[in-house]
Amino acid sequence: MKTIAKAALAAAFLLSTSLSALAVERGGTLTYGRYADSLFLDPVLNDANVDIWVLSNLYDTLLLPTDDGKGVQAGLATAWKMADDGLSVTLTLRDGIKFSDGSPITPQDVGWSLKRAADPKNGIWNFLISSIDDVTPQGDKTVVIKLKHTDPAILAALTVFNTAILPQKAFEASPGATDADKAKAFAEHPISSGPFVLKSWDRGSDMKLVRNPNYWGVGEDGKPLPYLDTIDFQVIPDDATRILKLNSGELDGAEFIPYSRVDELKSADNLNMQLFPSTRVQYITLNVRPQLGGKDNPLSNPKVRQAMNYAVNKDAIIQIVTHGVGSPMTSFMSSATPLHSGDKPLYPYDLDKAKALMKDAGVEKGFSTSLLVLAGNQDEIGIATALQQMWAPLGIKLELQQVDNASRTQQYRDGTFTMREAAWTDDIADPNEITSYFVYSPNIQALHSGWKNDEADKLFEASQKEIDVKKRAEEYARIQEIYNADGPIVPLYQTPYPVALNKKVNGFLQIPLGNNIFTKTWLAK
Amino acid sequence: MPLFSYVVRRILQMIPTVVFILVITFVLIRLLPGDPASAMLGDRALDADVIRINASLGLDKPIIVQFFYFVERVFTGDLGNSITLKLPVMTLILQRLPVTLMLITMAAVIALLLAVPLAFVAALKREQASDAAIRGVFQVGLSMPVFYIGILLLTLFAAHLKWFPVGGFGDTFGSKLYHLFLPALTLAVSLAAILMRNLRAAIIGVINAEYVDFARAKGLRTRIILFRHVLRNALISTITLFGLQIGSLLGGGVITETVFAVPGAGRLMIDSIYGRDYPVLQGLTIALAILVSLTFLVTDIVQAWLDPRIAR
Repeated sequence: MKTIAKAALAAAFLLSTSLSALAVERGGTLTYGRYADSLFLDPVLNDANVDIWVLSNLYDTLLLPTDDGKGVQAGLATAWKMADDGLSVTLTLRDGIKFSDGSPITPQDVGWSLKRAADPKNGIWNFLISSIDDVTPQGDKTVVIKLKHTDPAILAALTVFNTAILPQKAFEASPGATDADKAKAFAEHPISSGPFVLKSWDRGSDMKLVRNPNYWGVGEDGKPLPYLDTIDFQVIPDDATRILKLNSGELDGAEFIPYSRVDELKSADNLNMQLFPSTRVQYITLNVRPQLGGKDNPLSNPKVRQAMNYAVNKDAIIQIVTHGVGSPMTSFMSSATPLHSGDKPLYPYDLDKAKALMKDAGVEKGFSTSLLVLAGNQDEIGIATALQQMWAPLGIKLELQQVDNASRTQQYRDGTFTMREAAWTDDIADPNEITSYFVYSPNIQALHSGWKNDEADKLFEASQKEIDVKKRAEEYARIQEIYNADGPIVPLYQTPYPVALNKKVNGFLQIPLGNNIFTKTWLAK
Repeated sequence: MPLFSYVVRRILQMIPTVVFILVITFVLIRLLPGDPASAMLGDRALDADVIRINASLGLDKPIIVQFFYFVERVFTGDLGNSITLKLPVMTLILQRLPVTLMLITMAAVIALLLAVPLAFVAALKREQASDAAIRGVFQVGLSMPVFYIGILLLTLFAAHLKWFPVGGFGDTFGSKLYHLFLPALTLAVSLAAILMRNLRAAIIGVINAEYVDFARAKGLRTRIILFRHVLRNALISTITLFGLQIGSLLGGGVITETVFAVPGAGRLMIDSIYGRDYPVLQGLTIALAILVSLTFLVTDIVQAWLDPRIAR
């Protein structure tokens, strides 16, 4: 009897603890340390990650990304249907949705917002929805997006920050003569369609968001989302200071934890060190033009590029630079990018093969070359010095040119660089953005490298219109095959987003595109 | 009225300085590699966008034309708009500069409060243990980089002892003073060390002067001798040094503001350099240069007041 009583008690205890672990708690302020402040909170005219990553808390889009960042789920629209010919999308708006000022979100607001975002005169993100021809309201709940041509990425694009829905009337009533002026005024006191509203913004110091009382989302407890009352974004550029504040309990969460500190924070009792999958890839871009500065360029030979790839011990670089946080790339696009293909690390370390390839290419004795390194950036300097040693056995003498970012960008844009270090993060949950920059030569000559492959160009053009999911996946698989074998980069590693949270923080999400999502975040008391 | 005419003369002397500052800021910033559009748009920029944005900023015009536009605007108080923050540069400077001024003022006050009494103790107890100890401590303070002092103070007083917040900037005046104490102390350490060394040497020099012997012989009380005769005369060179150091405090402020997450002009400067935000960079350089010139002016005036021979 005693045993049964004990078992019952234990069961009751377990049940109650697991229940309390599940039950969300409402209210409170979450203080979050950011490495840099936002610049401009307009979804269309902004140009930086620091804006993009918080915009999704202020403005909702018709569709929202799924938690893994690869698919779409209902947002302001609850149903969406692509026409059979792939030339239009019909979306049904959610019932009774309102902006934060209580005014209804109408199909007119949707049409106006999308057309503003698609206008080539507005900002640099319009290319993501350049296929939109027109947006027409149908009745009071339906919107039809007419496309210029079939666009397989259109649904993914409707989750991206620049397609956020803003109130047309309030925006147009903002002071200013031009759209840009109005955007400036509106972005100072925006009216939200997302889970939070901007309450105050002390530039360079902190930004406070409070819950939008009119938000449509419903929490696990059946009451409106979000759970938090306030998010306080504090701007703390210094990594060490951000971590100190986190340790001392002044912050509930901090982003951009240096890789070197990840292990240490993993073992901290009060912290939950999270590594969110990201689309960030780190690589070296090679200039593959036949001649550089009037001399023959050995990097134009694909065999030389392959040799250089085989000679790089990526695992060692991952250990040295990312303290083991990164992982080898299996394609030029990250494994978190949809339609990524490849399951083996690219160019596993093989010095003998590298030497043989150099011999085949007729440069057995090697050559001298140079790499642009961002001055003062420890990660880049670490990578560069490792490469210097790893390429030495091939007879490649690598000169490191430490320059500032502006000089590097200039040489890159002019196509006069030899090699440069670079990183990339996707903005849309579709492989088309990264491919257009890395592979498609008419865009920026494949990362300004001068590389061109007719088959890859044609496949990319076809994939931009292909609505058969299977065929499109095949096209991307082939593009990756071509580029990974012959492309103008030395792929190094992909890294996650390191975010350290206090253990009382639950339900925080950073998707592979970087967006910080606080809609379902709550604080245990 | 030699002091008055001296002040007028000094103010007039500032005019060529200001003109020189305008030319230099304009030219130097244009000599930096890169253009704002590329900085704004990053690696992904398409050439057409770069050209369009540079044109919209007037950067496609001849440089001399740009310069005259620039001077005209500066004299009407319009420093242009920030490229990245999309706000008037004047607004940004008016938001951020007071924070830096508050930080620097606090640092200066702390430095003086540390340096003056300690310099006296060190000078009066010359070559004794307390002199050696004071000088030793300050020698260490002087040789450590500002960011290192900052991190040490943060770790000790904020993270471990929790007496102060780990950076940031409060809402009320009181909480701002509280938040700024550690960064101000960080900046004050090396300034105090420099002032202390200089003042100690000056006091030793003055104490041995004949007029001090004379004052003593007259039977004046030590306190009066020290404050009226010794301190006043010893301060002259220290005040010059103090004025000159304000410029380097602004430099140290850039690092301190970054370590302690203080949203001041120094942080804004760093951000605008990275972002190639020309208008902000120009506006800040002009504002800071004028500020430093004003500091020198005040230093000279105080010097002239302490030692009227200078004004003649």
